[in-house]
Amino acid sequence: MTESAAEVLIEVRDVGKVFANGVVGLKQVSMTVRRGEVVCIIGPSGSGKSTLLRTLNALETITSGEIQVLGQSVHGGKANLNRLRTHVGMVFQSFNLFPHKTALENLMLAPRVVGKVATSELRERCQALLAKVGLADKADAHPAQLSGGQQQRVAIARALAMQPDIMLFDEPTSALDPEKVNEVLDVMKVLAREGMTMCVVTHEMGFARAVADRVVFMEAGEIVYEDRPEPFFEAPRSERLKAFLGQVLK
Amino acid sequence: MWYGVYVLVLVVFGIAVHAASDRVAYTWRWDRIPQYIVNNDGTEMRAPYDGFVAVAPDKKSLTLKELRGSRHDTITGFDVLLVGDGDLVFQNDALARKSGLVAGPLTLGLWMTLKLSAVALVFSMLLGLVAGLGRIARNPAVYGLATTYVELIRGTPLLVQIFIFYFFVGTVLKLSAFTAGAAALAVFTGAYVAEIIRAGIESIPRGQMEAARSLGMSVPQAMRHVVLPQAFKKTLPPLAGQFINLIKDSSLVSVMALTDLTKAGREVVASTFSPFEVWFTVALMYLVLTGTLSLFVRRLEKRLAHD
Repeated sequence: MTESAAEVLIEVRDVGKVFANGVVGLKQVSMTVRRGEVVCIIGPSGSGKSTLLRTLNALETITSGEIQVLGQSVHGGKANLNRLRTHVGMVFQSFNLFPHKTALENLMLAPRVVGKVATSELRERCQALLAKVGLADKADAHPAQLSGGQQQRVAIARALAMQPDIMLFDEPTSALDPEKVNEVLDVMKVLAREGMTMCVVTHEMGFARAVADRVVFMEAGEIVYEDRPEPFFEAPRSERLKAFLGQVLK
Repeated sequence: MWYGVYVLVLVVFGIAVHAASDRVAYTWRWDRIPQYIVNNDGTEMRAPYDGFVAVAPDKKSLTLKELRGSRHDTITGFDVLLVGDGDLVFQNDALARKSGLVAGPLTLGLWMTLKLSAVALVFSMLLGLVAGLGRIARNPAVYGLATTYVELIRGTPLLVQIFIFYFFVGTVLKLSAFTAGAAALAVFTGAYVAEIIRAGIESIPRGQMEAARSLGMSVPQAMRHVVLPQAFKKTLPPLAGQFINLIKDSSLVSVMALTDLTKAGREVVASTFSPFEVWFTVALMYLVLTGTLSLFVRRLEKRLAHD
C-alpha cells in the first residue's frame, strides 16, 4: 500500500488538553491517519493514549488545536457530532454492552434508533456480523450470559453495525482474562486485513507488531516516537521508548 | 419451629389487644360494620326540581310537573313509592326507592381513594421524570427549577400543601376538590419520584451513555433506549415504596370536601359510635390497596429480572 496516496481520514494538529482539575492530558499532539491504515498507540498508563482516542469522536473535549475527522472539524462546534459518530465506531475497555438487551438487540439498537436502515435487512446484516465475530449462536444471549471475550466481540460487532469508516479501540483486551485475549485480537486482525481504518490503544505489543502500519509511543501527554513496526520494535531511536519496551517486553 | 414462634407472637398480640379493649369496657359490635361496606338500602330517586307529583293508576310510574316552568319527567322502574298522588315536592326530595345491593360509604370512600391515588400516581410519575431529568441537566435554569421544586416540596408538610392547593390554587384556578386533591398529591409525590429517578439514572455506569453516544445516538435517544430502561428496573423497589406512601398520604385529603376512605371512616364512626371496628376495617381496606400494589410490583420485578 502506498501510504501517501490514500485519503486522510483523521488529522490531529497541535492538540492540547487540560482537565478541569488542572492536570495536563495532552500536549501539542499531532497525528495523521489515512484510509486503510492501522495505527497502534502504546505507552505507560496515564500517558494520554485513551484521552487522545476519545477526543477523536468528541467523547472528550480539547483545550487547543484542531482535529479533523472525515473532513469535518470535530471540536469546531459546527459539526453534527451525532452524524459524525455514526461513521466512527468505538470499542471500550469495559465493553459497555447494553445489559438489558440481547446480543442481537445490542447490534440492532443504534442503526434502528438513528434510523439508518430498514429493520428487515438490518436483522440479517446484524446476524451476519455476529457470525463474523464467531457468535452466531449467541444472538439471543444477554451480555451477563457471555464471557468477557464474547462480550467484547459483540461490542466490536455492535460498532460495525453502523458501517463505520473508522474504528477506534480503547484498550480492547485489557479487561480480559489472558486466555480470552486472542479471540478478540483475531477478530481485529480480520478487520485490519479487510482494510478497515483503525486506531488501537493497546498493551498488546505482539498485535501492534503484526498488524499495525504505524506504531505511536506516547508519554506524559506527548507523542514521543512514531514509526513503522519493524524499526519501532527492532531499533527504536528513542531512549524513553527503549526503556518502556525493556519494561513491557521483559 | 420459627414459623411457630411467628404464629405464637401474633396470637399473644391478638390476646393483648382483646384484653386491652376489655379493660376500657368496650363492647365490640362488628355486626354494625358490614352495612357500611355493602347494604340492601337500595337507591333513592330524587326530584330534579320543585313540582307536583302525578302517580299512575297502576302505581308503576309517576310524573313530576315543574311548579314554575314547563318541564315534566316520568319516572319508572322503582320498587317502593315514597310520595302520593298530587303531592307537592321540592328539589332533592326522595320520590321512590329502587331496592338492591349498593355500595356503602366505606366502599365509596375506598373507590375515591383508589381513583385519587391512581390519578396522582400517573401525574407524579410524569412530573418526577421531568424533574428528575432536570436534576441532572447541565442547563442552570433547568437544574435550578428542578432543584427548587424538589426542595420546596420536600421541605414543607403535605397537609400544608393540601391546604394551599385547596384554598389558594383551587380557588384561583376554580379547581374541583378532586382535581385540587389529586394535584396536591401528584406534586408532592413527584418531588420524591424525581429524586428516586435521579439516583437511578446516576447509578447507571457512564460507559452506557458513552457507548450509546459513540454509536451516534443523541442524548434523548440514549436516555430513552439505553439509560432509562436500566434505571427504571433499578428504581422499581423505591418507586413502589413511594407509591404505597402515596396511597396512605391520600388520607390527608380528607381535610378537604372529598369523601375518601378516611373521611368515610370518620362519618361512619359518627353514626355508629364504634370507632374501634370502623378504624380496623378502614386500616384493612388500605392494606388491601397497598398489598395489591406491592404484589403487582413484585410480579413486574420478577418479569424484568429475566432480561
